[in-house]
Amino acid sequence: MSMELKNIAELTLEHMRDAGFDDCHVSVGVSEQDELNITHNEPSLLRSTEDYAVSMLGIVDGRKASSSLTDIGEDAIAAEITGLFERAKSAPQDEANAVSADQVSHFEQGPLESSLDLLAEKTSELLDFRAASAPKVTVEEGGAAHLVSRSHEVTSQGTELSSIIGCYQLQVMGTASEGDKSSSFNYTGGRANDLTGRHASEWFAIGDMLVDTQNQIVTQSIDARFTGEVILAPSAVSDLVNWLLGQLNASALIAGSSVYENSIGEVIATPDLFINSDFDAPGHVPYTDDGFTARPINLVEGGKLTTLLLNLYGSRKTGLDHTASTSGWRIEPGSDAKEDLIASIKQGALVNRLSMGQPAANGDFSGVIKNSFGIEKGEVGTALADTMVSGNMAQMLKDIDGISAEHLDYGGQDFPFFRIPDMHFS
Amino acid sequence: MSNLSAPAGVEYAEAREHEVRKVRKVMIDGNLTANSQTSEGGISARVFNKGYWGFASIPAMNQKSAEKVAKKAADNASAMCRFGERPRLELTGAGYVGEHGYNGRPPMSQKESMDVMEGVNDLCKTRYPDLKSTSIMLHEESHQKKFNTSTGGDGLNVINRAAVYLMMTAEDKNGQPVELMEAISSKGNLADLELSMGKLEPILDDLHGHLQAKCNAVPARGGDHKIVLSPELSGMLAHEAMGHPCEADLVLGGAVTGNLVGKSVASELITMMDLANSYNGEELMIPVYADDEGSESIDVILIENGILRNFMTSRETAAKLGIQPTGNARAYTFNDEPLVRMRNTAILPGSSKLEDMIAGIENGYYLMKTGNGQADSTTEFMFGITLAYEIRNGKLGSAINDTTVSGTAINMLKTVDAVSDDMHWECNGYCGKKQPMVVSSGGPAIRAVAHLGGE
Repeated sequence: MSMELKNIAELTLEHMRDAGFDDCHVSVGVSEQDELNITHNEPSLLRSTEDYAVSMLGIVDGRKASSSLTDIGEDAIAAEITGLFERAKSAPQDEANAVSADQVSHFEQGPLESSLDLLAEKTSELLDFRAASAPKVTVEEGGAAHLVSRSHEVTSQGTELSSIIGCYQLQVMGTASEGDKSSSFNYTGGRANDLTGRHASEWFAIGDMLVDTQNQIVTQSIDARFTGEVILAPSAVSDLVNWLLGQLNASALIAGSSVYENSIGEVIATPDLFINSDFDAPGHVPYTDDGFTARPINLVEGGKLTTLLLNLYGSRKTGLDHTASTSGWRIEPGSDAKEDLIASIKQGALVNRLSMGQPAANGDFSGVIKNSFGIEKGEVGTALADTMVSGNMAQMLKDIDGISAEHLDYGGQDFPFFRIPDMHFS
Repeated sequence: MSNLSAPAGVEYAEAREHEVRKVRKVMIDGNLTANSQTSEGGISARVFNKGYWGFASIPAMNQKSAEKVAKKAADNASAMCRFGERPRLELTGAGYVGEHGYNGRPPMSQKESMDVMEGVNDLCKTRYPDLKSTSIMLHEESHQKKFNTSTGGDGLNVINRAAVYLMMTAEDKNGQPVELMEAISSKGNLADLELSMGKLEPILDDLHGHLQAKCNAVPARGGDHKIVLSPELSGMLAHEAMGHPCEADLVLGGAVTGNLVGKSVASELITMMDLANSYNGEELMIPVYADDEGSESIDVILIENGILRNFMTSRETAAKLGIQPTGNARAYTFNDEPLVRMRNTAILPGSSKLEDMIAGIENGYYLMKTGNGQADSTTEFMFGITLAYEIRNGKLGSAINDTTVSGTAINMLKTVDAVSDDMHWECNGYCGKKQPMVVSSGGPAIRAVAHLGGE
């Protein structure tokens, strides 16, 4: 299969050169998935999918176009190349258009064969745990899956990257109810290279989530607006991290809407914050979309921003440094015990999830806090409903005044709990 | 369509040939950062037997592939029997026969789309020198589905939609970026949007005017307020607030709506529907004549004069609820299984005038644009507000910073005291669930009480 992908990629590259492209980038991939689904507390569906894709990017006379198709037959690809060339010729010239050069690597990771027995075992464990420990919860959807992907990409400038990865996935989403009352829906899940060795409920805090959700049927709203503190759970920390990553990418920097354009080397967060890449987390490949090997990055060191995350095009367009990055990030745990962080809260909330619109360009946001509990004088109280928090993402990074030793690894997102003061509750 | 090879001895089987084609072009300050076209197609089969489902798909559309996935789907359903016997469930509903294609304008050429994007970029650069950045995104998406079911369903459904997104960025008095986006969407392809500069200029002028107001915005005051939702927003309200909690799979999963059929859930001014393909004699933006299970798609009255009436269903969820399927089971790509999804969800217009609705508020807000939203099984909803104005003594005042509006749908909808006679439809963006989905939403202006985030 790998040789076949290599042959298709190289043949496609050759056809693109023959068609008249000055530079080309071709990527060919195949993936297979077996997914065992739960619906309403019952195993319901076994779904098996195969997927192929050939992606082509062509540059002629500084003009660029791209295509992707699932038909990897020679005739389909040839027809697509013809259309691709015409579209590229009509695009505007841009000196920043280029393809990666001389990136050569092969990456392999994870289980390449699916085990239905393992998928079934973990599904049964999830359902047995729910029945025994969280009987008021209905698992709306969830289950276990195995995914394997193979890819081969080449460019006209000597890049050749290939990968074979496999991983398992567990996910659960559900709601607890009693009488005519219901909790918010709650969910968790992640990827791992091996699901054996731990009960399903012990992966990705699934068990904790199910039990917590039972405690979210009875809720209360806050009495009045106030300014208080939050403990952001790892699932909510990811919103903060995703906002930061969005500020550092090519789109924001080209548009001039990033608040961090001139912040390399500057303190942008608490000195206790260290954000590092985790590009080879389970199910992840350390290659970028534009054909680079993504080396490990220490993005934030002691609160200082070390780099922007411009891809090749963005770097050539802005004149700023190119940094190859893809998905998968980890925050170094701190030294505070989570229970101590909670005990330090005078008035606030333990926030598991933020439901909100896209933060404004300057980082201002307001969001409904979901699956969350009020904290009063250090004690976790009743679950909250109809409660919003607002603040500013950039300011929150600076204001973090506690980072827990406990952390949760979802496979590509490994985050601790944060304590953040001065949040507006309404 | 490749012939469905219905495996022997199964209770239900379906097959689908499904192709999705997309075009996406992005220009930021005259730089074409994306110029892409994708095509994703294949065949899938799904089988229901002895209480379990099996599904298989492959990215090829020929007889051999049809037979391969049919067998695999049947094998998968059999493999599920390892979990034990299930009570028998008879899937209800007949099979729809019919073909519904699309006749629109010839697609916009590459040069035409470049002319539009460069035209907008050039106009903004000249006319609005205070702008820091202008972005234009052109997007079109075409879904072609052929289906075949063991209940006699056989047909074709084509859904095309197109959207252009115009984004402006400026700076406020503190040098902080301020953004505002306008989306224009319709059924069909980009050519059907008729993107002439004559059409776009007033839209751009309007967008710039609002952006300038946002550069001098004040913070929203957090808490409950009297608000008017513009027609552009009430579709989002319909979709998030009560649309999702009326999807039968969420109802069976414990949504509070399960106990509320026949009860008051909104002001009697509110009638909300999920429409299949037509409204007032016109075909809607997402015209679904049959769903991906081959069930005829029918209009669903969700709320009628404030009373909760019906849910949106698939064959399985309808059977479990003891009702008929409504033709809401749709899959996003060929390798997805059908799930209960909305189609064209709307609050129906009333008789009030928008200007009177605003004039009737002493202290509140007029909410005009949104970016995204989310629903919940409790009917608590939220959506982001990217453009809004204070209302003071019946008049519009300062713009406010981006905020979020939320509430419990039932509580909020009961406070509705005016519904305008406007009707606005749109189909940009995606609905998210296990898979994305193209949907449309619509409605008039609505006056109610809702919770805004703020200091």
